[in-house]
Amino acid sequence: MTSAPGESPVRMYHVSKSYMAGQFALQDVSLEIRRGEFVFLTGSSGAGKTTLLELIFAAERPSEGQIVVLGRNVARLGAGGVPALRRRVGVVFQDFKLLDERTVEENVRLALDVVGTPRREARTRVFQLLKSVGLQHRRFHHPRSLSGGEQQRVALARALVNEPEILLADEPTGNLDPELTLGIMDLIASASTRGTTVIVATHDHSLIERYGKRVLRLEGGRIAEDIPATAGVERGVGA
Amino acid sequence: MNRGLILIGIAFANAARGIRQASTTSLLAVLTIAVVLVLIGSAWLLVGNMASLLAEFGGELKLTAYLEGGLSEARQRELAERAGEEPGVLEVELVTREEALVRFERIAGSAELLEGLAENPLPPSLELTLAPAARTKSSIEALEATLATLPGIDELAHGQDWIEGYGRAIALVRGLALGLGCVLGLAALLIVANTIRLAVYARRDELDILALVGASRTFVRVPFLLEGTIQGLLGGLLALALLFGTYELLLPQLQYGLELVLGRAELGFFTKAQACLLVGAGALLGLLGSITAMVGWRSTS
Repeated sequence: MTSAPGESPVRMYHVSKSYMAGQFALQDVSLEIRRGEFVFLTGSSGAGKTTLLELIFAAERPSEGQIVVLGRNVARLGAGGVPALRRRVGVVFQDFKLLDERTVEENVRLALDVVGTPRREARTRVFQLLKSVGLQHRRFHHPRSLSGGEQQRVALARALVNEPEILLADEPTGNLDPELTLGIMDLIASASTRGTTVIVATHDHSLIERYGKRVLRLEGGRIAEDIPATAGVERGVGA
Repeated sequence: MNRGLILIGIAFANAARGIRQASTTSLLAVLTIAVVLVLIGSAWLLVGNMASLLAEFGGELKLTAYLEGGLSEARQRELAERAGEEPGVLEVELVTREEALVRFERIAGSAELLEGLAENPLPPSLELTLAPAARTKSSIEALEATLATLPGIDELAHGQDWIEGYGRAIALVRGLALGLGCVLGLAALLIVANTIRLAVYARRDELDILALVGASRTFVRVPFLLEGTIQGLLGGLLALALLFGTYELLLPQLQYGLELVLGRAELGFFTKAQACLLVGAGALLGLLGSITAMVGWRSTS
């Protein structure tokens, strides 16, 4: 099911998340993220960035409030609803989450296997995507033999291979050298230019300044600031 | 290609990969199932062969009704017909005085012992072959009580009282085999479940990543169920091979020993259907072990 055209793919209404009674990881968060929008989530450690992302891809359920992702109410998703939602949401993590015993191609293909994509079609799509991240020559290598930047590009390819409507990235450059960071961020930003809604959690202010996108700053589980995108700072995007 | 077939193919490929990756735990599961099935199979073979020996000897169990000397041939046939109508009687053979003499001569070598007598002293008799269900002490006693009331029947006799004890021994062994089978089966189930749970634990990262990219519960679980079933199948085949090898190795000695004690011994291995059942039991054990292991598993993503 696709959300209606024009409908914002992520909407939160007074969402709170508590893991222990009286302690909130997120508290009374309301927001709306539009289709194709690129949003940075920022804030200090423990501010609630990861929790907010986990709520969007239904790894967690809200304690209070409503979250509507791609037209589905996350709080009411059944056992079959979660996988269906996740096939439309790509996720990238700081620690890559790649399987060492599988090749690069197999790692990326995982996302296609779960939807029963025919093997030949899957190989073609994986090859094209690996080419777009500059790793087609490494497709038969195992992740362990790749650099951190290459591993993150593989993880990004896996997140994008199903052409998701939303791409979530939790500190995607946290483990990378500064020179690799921009390469990864440009790839993520290019997904946004193709219409994918992108949400990146980071505490790297240089990135936020460089890309000039909308910024949601979290503090103590609440949205402390919602800074709109800055006009004329698109220089880094898709570079 | 049909999407369902593609998913089945992927499930089999993932199961094969799982077995390859966790070869030690897979081997452990196969061996566990094989050991349990060897024990159950041995008990099954023992009981099966004892039961067929009992059936063989039971076929020789006959009840003999000796008739009064002065009965006419017509009356003797009438009594034979009447006895044949009794429940549990499979067949009735009328042995006339002359036939009894011939049998005596055959057993004794000649009829010299009877030469001094004026006439054939052997009485006519009815030999009753009993149905398998009627070869118990209580059935025989009931039949004897009925036949004793018939006019013309002088005396009743049956041999092989040991059959009753043998039957009790069979029932005991069968009960023990069943109990042992249940206990061993349950133990194997738990061991296999724990072995597969270890495999699940070792691959939790993979399962979490699969859940992350939108794999359904079925997509994640089916390869593990297939793994368990394949391991069970291999365990069953290994058990069958071990049992057959042991049977072939011990058969000459066993047969010799039994022939010494019982006079003859026709031992048998599993029929094709029974062999399939044993291997199928292994597969079922593996499948149930996997199901037990998967119950309660929940992705952390």
